[in-house]
Amino acid sequence: MANLVGIYAASHGPLIVRKWDALTPACKSAITSAFDELGRRINAVRAEVLIVISPDHWVNFSLDNLPAICVGVGETHDGPPEPWLAAFPHKQMAGHPPLARHIVEHAFGRGFEPGVSYKLALDHGFCIPLWKAGVAPLPAIIPVVLNTVEPPLPGVRRCHEWGAVLSEAIASFAGNTRVAILATGGLSHSIGEATMGAIDEAFDRECLQHFASGEREALFRFLDQRMAAAGNGTAEVRNWLAAHGAAGATGARAFELIHYSAMPEIYVGCGVVSWNKP
Amino acid sequence: MRDYWLSKLFFDLQTPSAAAEYRAARNAVLARYPLKPEVLAAIENNDVAALAPLVNAYLLRFYFLVIDMPEEEFVKRIRSTGAAGKAFHG
Repeated sequence: MANLVGIYAASHGPLIVRKWDALTPACKSAITSAFDELGRRINAVRAEVLIVISPDHWVNFSLDNLPAICVGVGETHDGPPEPWLAAFPHKQMAGHPPLARHIVEHAFGRGFEPGVSYKLALDHGFCIPLWKAGVAPLPAIIPVVLNTVEPPLPGVRRCHEWGAVLSEAIASFAGNTRVAILATGGLSHSIGEATMGAIDEAFDRECLQHFASGEREALFRFLDQRMAAAGNGTAEVRNWLAAHGAAGATGARAFELIHYSAMPEIYVGCGVVSWNKP
Repeated sequence: MRDYWLSKLFFDLQTPSAAAEYRAARNAVLARYPLKPEVLAAIENNDVAALAPLVNAYLLRFYFLVIDMPEEEFVKRIRSTGAAGKAFHG
């Protein structure tokens, strides 16, 4: 069976790149140190495959077709199309079709019917954490698009369960492939709406406490009650829930906060975390 | 409720060549989309408040980047909509 060797989550605010030169030294330093630590950990586990869970910010999908979950099963994925990410070092990224297809097949047996794509372009949600963390060499990437941008959105329990499905699929994949999971996005932020730029730091800190407590029903209740009011981008915490579900499915892992700070300069409550084996 | 053709327009303008064409010949591009008169008027007037309920917030923000509205101006206009209760929160 394949081995789940690491689980992580990190924010992906576009201004981390788009506005980098204009950020204050303190903000740059905090971001750099958080992502350096993330990269150190990801590189240390020597994953051969990295499952990255992120929304698609209107790059691959539109109102023509908007899947709740889509798994990238292609041989390769395109790099980010955003012009301000032109310096991202990978124009193409290798996929891992055998494991991606296995995930999809396993999901269908578990009551999930994700869509599939043989050709995805991976936008900033996927690429900023990989880039800022300095993940190298880049493992094969299995992108998992979780719709957190346009309703209807998957429910919080469903996202958590989806993570468990990912973990089970990894555990039942033949061979001894080393696989890691990186969820991206969050924490609180508000984009293109009346509260634009607002960060709900109280929400973020309470949210992190709920993740750390391991009491999943309390976490679900908290998110059901509070997430909607914390800004539209906060919906990306669903990706963290999937990682959390993966962490709890095959042996308890301890949630560890690597970094959190409210960063008004980049409009994001910026969090970086990992789930560690005992 | 989303306006499909407005959303389609904003989605399409993410392609740099389409954005360049739009900047150079806005009316010619708009003519290719069957937009309702009130939607067309909101576009022509850069009416953030009128467009906000009709399109996803990320696409809205992107559109105003494409037409080179300064970020400060967009933030000022979107905040002044007072549409927090109407806007989608995930």
